[in-house]
Amino acid sequence: MQAWRIREPVMWLCEEMTGNRKTYGMNLIGGVRRDITADQYPKILEVISKIEGQLKEVISAIVGDTTLHLRLKNVGVLSPEAARRLCAVGPTARGSGVEIDSRVNHPYAAYAQVRPRIISHPEGDVWARTLVRLEETLESIRLVRQALEQMNAGDIMADVKEIPAWREGIAYVEAPRGESIHYVMTGPDNRPYRWRVRAPSYANLQTVPTMFQGNTIADAPIIVGSIDPCFSCTERMEVVDVKTKKIRVYSQEELRQMSRKR
Amino acid sequence: MLVSKLKEAIICLKNLRVTLPYPFQPAPPAEGFRGRLELDINKCIGCGACLNACPPRLIRMTDQDVRRTIEFGLGRCTYCARCAEVCPERAISMTKEFELSTEDKKDLDITAELVMAKCGQCNTAYTTQRIVDKLMNQVAKEIGVEAAAKIG
Repeated sequence: MQAWRIREPVMWLCEEMTGNRKTYGMNLIGGVRRDITADQYPKILEVISKIEGQLKEVISAIVGDTTLHLRLKNVGVLSPEAARRLCAVGPTARGSGVEIDSRVNHPYAAYAQVRPRIISHPEGDVWARTLVRLEETLESIRLVRQALEQMNAGDIMADVKEIPAWREGIAYVEAPRGESIHYVMTGPDNRPYRWRVRAPSYANLQTVPTMFQGNTIADAPIIVGSIDPCFSCTERMEVVDVKTKKIRVYSQEELRQMSRKR
Repeated sequence: MLVSKLKEAIICLKNLRVTLPYPFQPAPPAEGFRGRLELDINKCIGCGACLNACPPRLIRMTDQDVRRTIEFGLGRCTYCARCAEVCPERAISMTKEFELSTEDKKDLDITAELVMAKCGQCNTAYTTQRIVDKLMNQVAKEIGVEAAAKIG
């Protein structure tokens, strides 16, 4: 829960910079839509300094917590060989000592100038993956600082008018969960005709059966959680009545019935 | 072990409850937030630039007799604000409104009607009167009001 608390100021910052806390809508063909304004620079530095301190506080508290060690160590082990064989990506691979990161291995955008350090732990258990994620937050803060320092002022958008139809493009980025690959085929009217995403959870989910082996059912939720898969959380819905202050939770079945009625 | 537990306790005690009392207290979004789209019908000239830019293609434009109807099916809106960006008349703006839950998707729809201009030769409506007016104003600026009036 403390991690959510620390994250929230980042969401507010994103909302201020892009216009929404999650769906940033910043990238267009040709560049980005909004520049960082002069008063946002100090604000970004202030927020990341604040969360850096808070993260270090949380990390220093939990790395030595033996209750967590008992629960997470040697649970859901993925060996480096299995991680390679199953093509794990991101923190799932790095938590098994496989040091891959497309920002480092195949630098794109400005990652040749702003070099990330690969964070890896060789144990391959849930604890190792947790540590990788924790330490990567600090590495991300360092990268944001470095990027802000080195960034020059200039145009943020190229003048792109017509996009030729029936051309293909493929691009990869290192997303928080690992390498994400997008394929696009252009169509008429400056629109995409086909778009196919190979999200990192697709690759990482293949490792779960191997991680399950030799563990109890009670370990299953934390093993699945340790790859941080992108599941939808729509199987229940909470309705708050502002006037009566009553809260009602709709179940998955109720929602299904309602959606069929309409 | 004990040190860890103490550190954890201190973090929890220091922060206590951080959840905002929303929705019992309003939580206004930041400046520049992309919320519910608003159309200023007094400014719209019916050019259809928004229609070309809209990624989910929720804007429809239909001509019938001397009326051009522009419909925004906002149930599909992704709040990208591309329409507001490309609108030459700045008729579309993004408000800060985000509490848009409704029982009927149609509650979110916007419909605008514009009068169309008819061709002097064949008497068919070809574009909106506002586009014609705008062009004529530009022509008047270029060649002078009197000369423009002659072309009519």
